[in-house]
Amino acid sequence: MIETSWKRQHPAAIFIGFLSNLREMIFTIVAVLIFGQSSQAGGTIFYTIFFSLILVFSIASGIIRWATFRYQLIENELQVRQGLIFRKRRYIRQERIQSIDINAKLIQRIFNLVELRIETAGGGAEPEFRIIALKEEEAQQIKKELLSKSKTPTKDSKMDNVNGEEEVTNEAIGTSNEEQEVITEDEEHSLPQFHWKLTNQRLFITAITSSGIGIAATFVAAIATQVQQLIPDEYYERAIGWLLHSSVLIIGFWIVSILIIGWLITLVSTMLKYGLFNITKNGDEIHITRGVLEKRQLTLSAKRITAVRLVENMLRQPFGYVAVYVESAGGGTKEEDLSTVLIPLCKRTELNKILQEVLPEFAVERKLEKLPKYSVRRYMIRLLIPTAILASVLTYLYSYGWLAFSLLFIAGAIGYWQYYDAGIGRDQKILWIRYRILARTEVIIPRRRVQSMSFSQTIFQKFDDLYTLQASIITSIMGKTFQLRHIDRDQKEEMMEWFSYEEISQFQDDSEGSQ
Amino acid sequence: MRIKPDQKLDYKTLKVWRIVAVFEWLFYLIVPIGYGFLAYYFFFPFWFLYVLIILVFITAFFKIIFIPKLQWQKWRYKIYDNEVELMYGVFIVRRVIVPMIRVQHVDTKQGPILRRYGLSTVTISTAATTHEIPGLEESKADDLRDHIAQLAREADPND
Repeated sequence: MIETSWKRQHPAAIFIGFLSNLREMIFTIVAVLIFGQSSQAGGTIFYTIFFSLILVFSIASGIIRWATFRYQLIENELQVRQGLIFRKRRYIRQERIQSIDINAKLIQRIFNLVELRIETAGGGAEPEFRIIALKEEEAQQIKKELLSKSKTPTKDSKMDNVNGEEEVTNEAIGTSNEEQEVITEDEEHSLPQFHWKLTNQRLFITAITSSGIGIAATFVAAIATQVQQLIPDEYYERAIGWLLHSSVLIIGFWIVSILIIGWLITLVSTMLKYGLFNITKNGDEIHITRGVLEKRQLTLSAKRITAVRLVENMLRQPFGYVAVYVESAGGGTKEEDLSTVLIPLCKRTELNKILQEVLPEFAVERKLEKLPKYSVRRYMIRLLIPTAILASVLTYLYSYGWLAFSLLFIAGAIGYWQYYDAGIGRDQKILWIRYRILARTEVIIPRRRVQSMSFSQTIFQKFDDLYTLQASIITSIMGKTFQLRHIDRDQKEEMMEWFSYEEISQFQDDSEGSQ
Repeated sequence: MRIKPDQKLDYKTLKVWRIVAVFEWLFYLIVPIGYGFLAYYFFFPFWFLYVLIILVFITAFFKIIFIPKLQWQKWRYKIYDNEVELMYGVFIVRRVIVPMIRVQHVDTKQGPILRRYGLSTVTISTAATTHEIPGLEESKADDLRDHIAQLAREADPND
């Protein structure tokens, strides 16, 4: 048993809290910097006061938070008190715990500490709870203490409590199944059922084919324009003059070098992010660990995965590589921009084998029915018209603007490509739709995960009798809607019938009557 | 072919929509009024003011008279035993199917104008989406809410 006294976090929590305060205020700071530029005299005084206030406030709140935050582990309950003015006590019982993850972000790694993230069942106001700075051994100990006991359901009173919760009952069933397996194969208990890891070669391919290049390049370009402000005016003017006199070739050189820098940044950051990527599946729990500098851990429950997304960006598709994302009802982290990477990169051919192990529900043979031929028109027009408008505006504004009309070919090609790759398919229980925006994406959704389905038709689609299908599912933060544009009437009717929970005959009889 | 839902909204809903549209339209008046000031004090051309005024009144015709009428005509819903179906929209016609087992809660709500006409909106929420049946007579809306809630409770989660 662990000592029963209240403990504070490691003092580094002050610094970590301080930094995260600063990060939260970054938008305010940036806004002040941008809009404050015009203020003339007194500007520096204002800035000094403004920034020192922010610093003082951030440090103070960091200290207060550290000083008032205490926790202790008593038997199988984690107790937490926090708050200076509004005191809050939180008791986290082990039956309520969904998962415990230990993360080491960059800041924590500086101090050789970790962050403990506990996710509790049944939502509530704060399903997620963090202790931001503690020693790794201690975190491991808490994790062990809180998780280990729940695996041995010896306490009858506890089990009664458990049965009161629907969500947790499932969990209990899951573990009891596991227990049965354990009886048959005793040695296997501590061994994970399935293990997958991203090889170094694959990691490198992930990095060089990452589609973050565009974002990084924009970022570099943005910085480049900011740097101009730091360069004295005369140099700047001279440079501009030189640039104006120089040929298209040199401007092209600049664009290319910005792209290369962007690509390098993406390369390194992707390597760091997805390095040491590991998936371990244990019963219904999927553990994902990743990161070279920042070590992150994430636990997902296979029961709560609502959809699987297969993404092939333009660089990966020719080589048959695909990235797999999952949508989960609760469980994901906010940092992962709403959906979680399950497999950063694998061959399309290996996909079903891996899914079979990790998410058997989603591992189905997926035959795709294409969209009707005449929908190609809609796909192309949707891209051609905005491009044409843009090109016209450019032509009007700039002397060589008419060159922009060449973009029409690209737009048309992408439109055709979008039509070519779009498709829909289903079996009894699962729906899959494939579409392309730029990257080809296939979404696999079980029928029971679809919260509502809608079929819409714009006045343009009406000319060709085409429809747009939308299926909404739950994700960790809010609902998400996937859509497939321009399916034909038969496909629409089939999907309605597939999704409908009503007896089909009821509609058929009526329709025969009305026809 | 699946038959279309056949239930309509209450006729008074159209009136409410029009009143709301009038209030929204009042904001559009700011444009010609603002331009009027500019024309008066800064000698902007007056003819453009008349163009603006005509435009604003054309908008009024569409926004207050024409479109709400179409919208109201297009709105249909139907409550089946196992699902709710909605169909609405003028420029984009949308058909939505919400299974009863996915319904998390059903509410009724009314703003001041709806209340004035004794109407209510029924809101159907799933874990991911929210759907509305805007404008049913109060008692009917309440019945519908209770009815859907009842069906949602009874729905078989194993289906």
